[in-house]
Amino acid sequence: MKMWRLICLFLFVCSTVVAQNKPLLFNVDDLPQTLMSNPGAQINFTGHIGIPLFSQIHLSAGSTGANLYDIFADDGTNINTRIQETMRSMDARDYFALNQQLEIISLGWKLDDRNYLSMGIYQEMDLFAYFPKGPAILVNEGNNDYLNEPFHFDDVSFTGEIMTVYHLGINHKFDRRLTVGARAKLYSGIFNAESTGNTGRFTTYTTPNGRNVYHHEVVDMDVLINTSGFAPLKEEEGMTVEQATAELLSRSYFGGNLGFGLDLGISYILDEQFILSGSVQDLGAVFQRKDVENYRYFGAYETSGLEPLFPDLDENDEAIPYWDIFEDEVDRNLRDQTTNETYTTWRPIKANFAMEYGFGSGFLPCHYLSDKEVRYMNLLGMQLSGVKRPKGFVYALTAYYDRKINENQRFKLTYTLDDYSLTNIGLMYTRTFNKFNVYLAVNNLLAYPNLAKAHSASVQLGMQLVFND
Amino acid sequence: MKFLSSFLTKFASLIIGFLLLGCVKDVDLDQRDDIILSPDLQIDLLIYDIDQTHFKDTVTGNTKTRISDTVRLEFLDDSYIQDDLTSVEFYFRHINTFPREINSKVRFLSEVNREQFAVNYTIKPGADGNPVTTEQYELIEEDRINLVRRSIKMVVELEVQPDTTAFEGELDFASKGFFSFEF
Repeated sequence: MKMWRLICLFLFVCSTVVAQNKPLLFNVDDLPQTLMSNPGAQINFTGHIGIPLFSQIHLSAGSTGANLYDIFADDGTNINTRIQETMRSMDARDYFALNQQLEIISLGWKLDDRNYLSMGIYQEMDLFAYFPKGPAILVNEGNNDYLNEPFHFDDVSFTGEIMTVYHLGINHKFDRRLTVGARAKLYSGIFNAESTGNTGRFTTYTTPNGRNVYHHEVVDMDVLINTSGFAPLKEEEGMTVEQATAELLSRSYFGGNLGFGLDLGISYILDEQFILSGSVQDLGAVFQRKDVENYRYFGAYETSGLEPLFPDLDENDEAIPYWDIFEDEVDRNLRDQTTNETYTTWRPIKANFAMEYGFGSGFLPCHYLSDKEVRYMNLLGMQLSGVKRPKGFVYALTAYYDRKINENQRFKLTYTLDDYSLTNIGLMYTRTFNKFNVYLAVNNLLAYPNLAKAHSASVQLGMQLVFND
Repeated sequence: MKFLSSFLTKFASLIIGFLLLGCVKDVDLDQRDDIILSPDLQIDLLIYDIDQTHFKDTVTGNTKTRISDTVRLEFLDDSYIQDDLTSVEFYFRHINTFPREINSKVRFLSEVNREQFAVNYTIKPGADGNPVTTEQYELIEEDRINLVRRSIKMVVELEVQPDTTAFEGELDFASKGFFSFEF
């Protein structure tokens, strides 16, 4: 009964927090990387050592609103017309996302019958930006076609970070059914930039009964851009790429802004064939303390133009400095500030929930000393995943077929519904030669014949030594 | 099973091939050189609402036949005007209840007060309770855009012909510029 409560709690957490990361590697119990997306995953190995820098290379990129073809189509039409049409068709909830991870070190070993310890270091870059529709249209088209329509400054919303992550995780098998896990993370931030929660709008109103043809109005503007790690690079004039790279790398090793995080995971064998699993990743924050620079633009102002007063002046009198008065007034009302206030960034929380059904019993060689246990050769599953982003969660729903071909080979075929596409088919294939394991996972396969028309693409690949005894 | 294994191995090779070759078709990335931003901006310029008191000499009390004022438009010296402005259409509107024609002259001067261009027109007479609107457009295209770039001051002048009849009323002025850019 307690277990059901636990499962219900987990379902609730997943339905409210939800996450998405690498669905192709989730619940692949042959691969140590499954512990990175679910520290409470059921695993089927007793030790692993990643090939340094090659145990996982991950790259995913996506754009919900536009693809390369929309802009650069070689179809004889004008590129600027295409850009204009594309920008008009997008909205402020469309987004661009880029995530890259590189495992530097990865290793783990079985402590005893119940516990598996894993640790490592990886570098991550995560960029996420909503399409800043209002400002982008204003810059590209101006206000002429948008009279009486506001340009919203809150359309500006982005986060970007580069960091090194040091992690240590434990996977604990409670009993035959339940496995739980946790992973502690220490973040060493290299670079951060974020601008979220902005407000304000700029509108040009037509005023048929007003004093002038139009009335320009900036209302409730408050735009804040926080950066860390950017200021020193900006100040160093003449810094070469090599020097900048060296500076950034020096922050990888605890030289930057530190933060802490936690991953939690669970898997539970509901009955012989049904398995539930879920995880929450990156429950944590980075405390931006060093090399911080904040840029804030705020205020409100309205105008219908400058007003000459026709004063009585003779030839020697100075004209009234209308422009200077106007500029002073603007500066008083629309202000900008550069400060060095520390700030905290929450990591994009990711969560996964999966339910899978196994069939086709596994047959394995007799290793009576090993816990290795392949329960079923086939798994059919559903996975709900998502990532917390500034304007809400980004969801993905994946259906998968996971097939163990034999002791050394396995593939996983996925179909994912997400913001990018309705035709996202992915494939993961892993093969082990003695103890040497390689894997490759690719999402959105149908798009690969012409990536220009793809809204997203993702790949993970790696190699490592995986031990089973 | 062997077939499946072989198939998947080949399939994985194919995927790696895809990734390495980076299939990007039907696009011409060289078009990036053709990308331009071309905003069209509607911007209010000057406004005034005057009456007969503005035509009185504050020292002598006599009626002046000509009044003027000068406003610096510093933004005309900014780089986006100097480098990227392609055309401007100025719009001037007077709403007049003075019972006389008034000559309006809008002049654009350089820093050293050399006139670059001027827009001259006659404001139609109105009457008390019967305001009459006079509108004037001036399009400056690429062939004359340097005149705008060299300007920094906008001078508004009003002139009435001497007359002994009553000179009372109101004159409202509105103006805007429709600026087109190519960045």
